[in-house]
Amino acid sequence: MRFHRAIAAVPALLALIVLSCDWGWTPRLKVRAATGAVTRAVTTQEPVAARQKDAAGDRTLTWSHDIAGILYKNCATCHHPGGAGPFSLLTYADARRWGPQLVAVTQSRFMPPWLPEPGYGNFADVRRLGDRDRALIKQWVAEMMPEGDAAAAPAAPHFEGSWVLGKPDIVLKFPRSFTVSAGGTDVFWNFILPYPLAQTHSIRGMEIRPGSPQVVHHANIAIDRLASMRRKLGDRWQDGVGGMDLYIDAGNSFDPDSHFLFWKPDTPALIEPEDMPWRLDPGNDLILNMHLKPSGKPETMDGEVGLYFASKPATKQPILVSLDRDDALDIPAGDAHFVVEDSLMLPVDVEALGVYPHAHYLGHDLEGWAILPSGEKKWLVWIRNWDIDRQSIYRYEEPVFLPRGTVLYMRYTYDNSEANPHNPHVPPVRVRAGNRSEDEMAHLWVQLLPVHVAGNGPDPRLQIEEAWMRDRLRKTPNDAICLYNLAAALAGEKKYVEASVDFEELLKQSPRDERTLTALGAAQDGEGDWQAAIDTFRHALAWDAPACDARFDLAEVELRHDQAAAAEADFRTALSECHENAETHAGLGAALQAQSQPSAAEAEFRKSLELAPDNLTSLFGLAQIKMDAGENDAAIELLHEATDADPGSADAHMQLARAYGQKGDLQNALAELRAAERLRPEDAAIHSALSQVLAGQGNLQDATEEQRAALKLAENDPDGWNNLGALEARSGRLAAARVDFEHALQLDPANAEAKANLARLAAQTAKPN
Amino acid sequence: MYNRLLRSAVLVTVALTFARFGAAQKLGLDLHGRAVTELGGPSIRFVVLIFAASDCPISNRYVPEIARLNREFAPRGVRIWWVFPNADDAAGRVEQHNRDFAINEDTVLDPEQNLVRLAHATITPEAAVFAVHGGALDEIYRGRIDDRYLSIGQERPQPSHHDLEAALDAALAGQAVPHAAGPPVGCSVVFLGQ
Repeated sequence: MRFHRAIAAVPALLALIVLSCDWGWTPRLKVRAATGAVTRAVTTQEPVAARQKDAAGDRTLTWSHDIAGILYKNCATCHHPGGAGPFSLLTYADARRWGPQLVAVTQSRFMPPWLPEPGYGNFADVRRLGDRDRALIKQWVAEMMPEGDAAAAPAAPHFEGSWVLGKPDIVLKFPRSFTVSAGGTDVFWNFILPYPLAQTHSIRGMEIRPGSPQVVHHANIAIDRLASMRRKLGDRWQDGVGGMDLYIDAGNSFDPDSHFLFWKPDTPALIEPEDMPWRLDPGNDLILNMHLKPSGKPETMDGEVGLYFASKPATKQPILVSLDRDDALDIPAGDAHFVVEDSLMLPVDVEALGVYPHAHYLGHDLEGWAILPSGEKKWLVWIRNWDIDRQSIYRYEEPVFLPRGTVLYMRYTYDNSEANPHNPHVPPVRVRAGNRSEDEMAHLWVQLLPVHVAGNGPDPRLQIEEAWMRDRLRKTPNDAICLYNLAAALAGEKKYVEASVDFEELLKQSPRDERTLTALGAAQDGEGDWQAAIDTFRHALAWDAPACDARFDLAEVELRHDQAAAAEADFRTALSECHENAETHAGLGAALQAQSQPSAAEAEFRKSLELAPDNLTSLFGLAQIKMDAGENDAAIELLHEATDADPGSADAHMQLARAYGQKGDLQNALAELRAAERLRPEDAAIHSALSQVLAGQGNLQDATEEQRAALKLAENDPDGWNNLGALEARSGRLAAARVDFEHALQLDPANAEAKANLARLAAQTAKPN
Repeated sequence: MYNRLLRSAVLVTVALTFARFGAAQKLGLDLHGRAVTELGGPSIRFVVLIFAASDCPISNRYVPEIARLNREFAPRGVRIWWVFPNADDAAGRVEQHNRDFAINEDTVLDPEQNLVRLAHATITPEAAVFAVHGGALDEIYRGRIDDRYLSIGQERPQPSHHDLEAALDAALAGQAVPHAAGPPVGCSVVFLGQ
């Protein structure tokens, strides 16, 4: 069954810009990769101590000795020919040309762009210029900007016009060029870039080349799993659509867009940590939400996005959550001190990896902090002079550990007076929440990575989601999306009864909503009421539109409940009416396999694997076909692909152990079962299988221990008691064996094996020795 | 000297400059290297100089606004000039710049910075308005074009006060010309010898 915990429209996370967006938690890595040349160049400059002496005024400062290094390190990433900065700062002549402006912008701290207050969150890639460097620039300009010995200047950094990360694995181009008009207000525009491949890929890096870097202020990137914006825009999708914040339908599976995909001109390449790539599936769209600034002449953008594939999927799954008080934003005209606050208690241990504060033009003072259960206060971020033009993601230098019970807080202050120069309205007007730039927003997004995760517990992201949605519903009780997301999180946590109640509540408002019906069916199936689930799925299919998820889930339930022919028919309908995907081919393959049609099944499994080479259902199904044909080595090869594709899948290791076992290679079978055991130590079936393999190796003592362990976890398993009895008997403990066989028969009076074993035991004990 | 390089932090008090030029005195150069000796012309009542630099982003962002003002005021006896005072802005570069930005207004290079001195300009972009009295130019306004920029990095989404436009309206109506309500913001003029 598709993991039906569907998160529906997560408000943009996008919010990402609301679009959901950008990096993993080693931003350092990203920036270094993007600016390696700069880093190297700067290390050649004079030691800081020497410069400090000069700043005290002991001698005349020079560009080559004192200033070039500062500019190369702090400015040149954007300010180089062809870069995003409006002018270059690579040469002495450049520095001299812009000297007075350098003083003005560094004294005001407009440049380099960095909003957070130092000491309120320990961030990576801090761009704030040190006081010593600011003083040096000021003094040098005051002293008429001498060059000094040009030959002694540090080497200027080198910037290639090509991709910073090398040739991308795939380049997505803007569907249509876009022209920013010469003047007027800033433009917030969303471009849709469909992901054209038929295979899923994990993305380890992304680089954006907007074509006209000087007009692009920043971009948030959202993944639209369902191409929902493209569908909504119809034949106008290639033009994109305006808007500062986006709401994207997040689809039906619990798949939070967990990365800050945020681009700004000084960090063109986003590199994810090795264990945290993000995923693109066939049919997904990337949405670039761009802040564009008119330059004075029409600028045509013909951008492109380069993607770099990872060899392995993510093994760490962060989640983005937001504190959010859009509901409380109703700012009177002229109010210079309008405050909103929010808080959220964390239900699990996490590490905070980064933050993204977001408001529009009236936001003024933005604070975020955490209070730990110990009472300790940890600052998440403080921006005392918010400026949307310089908004950014901020990643922590080191992950910030926040134990369960920590409360996250935000406190945002807005200035809707005429004295706020950013105020879009003069005179001021009443302002509420909205996605236009002249509306407001109050979001503090935090990227959280759950830690101390128990191997067999619920996905901690679901617990976070549940807490988050409950919190939102307290603020906005009638928010159907939040209620849906809450119910979906509950279903994901296997709290099916609670989930069903919420889904049914939603159906009172929208009785024909296919998504809710499908999710309710999945929850009913989870409760064990699969007949009700089938009825609910059929209800969802009763209208004209192809209810693809309901059709898939119906087929899947049918397959699991011995209705393979019906399942086959529904999977075929899903393939004809809906988007072709690997899961549906895999399901059809399984339905055919269940009807003893191995060659037709194999064809479907292979189609599935063409679309998603790591589809486990298909790998397992194909391996079973091979095992049935006695081709154990082929099966083993396929199942190794499965364990490589998903090393965290205990099922894959168990299937591989089966294949080794069938081949007679008990040593490898044992190793695979031990791997499965590490992943699911509380799984009785794994212990039982271990017992069988150990017994096959003649290790009766360990085999007995494993079988006992299995029965501790599943004490009502008659076969398990029978097997334990057999082991006891082989070990010569006949009395214990008898008790076990009788226990098996107590649980299942018709158990033939136990009956036979008991009879054999009776015969054996009756014989004189 | 250093202070002159920075934008003035106080309101500019308009100095009433009364300058008289001889009939053929060279004021600047056109894009073909020919001397510009006449800023006014028949039926021109007011001359506006917009000091600019081709490499100054704030100056460039005002191109559409100046085009708008030109459309509005040219029919009313106002002649607007782009003035490029920096040494780097030679004819070829400015010509290319004007093509890139579709600038159609009159353009004059000011390599000797005669016009900078005449207007007392320090910043690009900065406007100076002169009333034309025969051969004499009488500076009646100098300062910012509007209040979009409060400082470099402090920018309104759109201007709330159009200082230059208000000055021209007042001048054309024969009323007292209001002073700029704030300093010009942009890039320093690169003064000769700097």
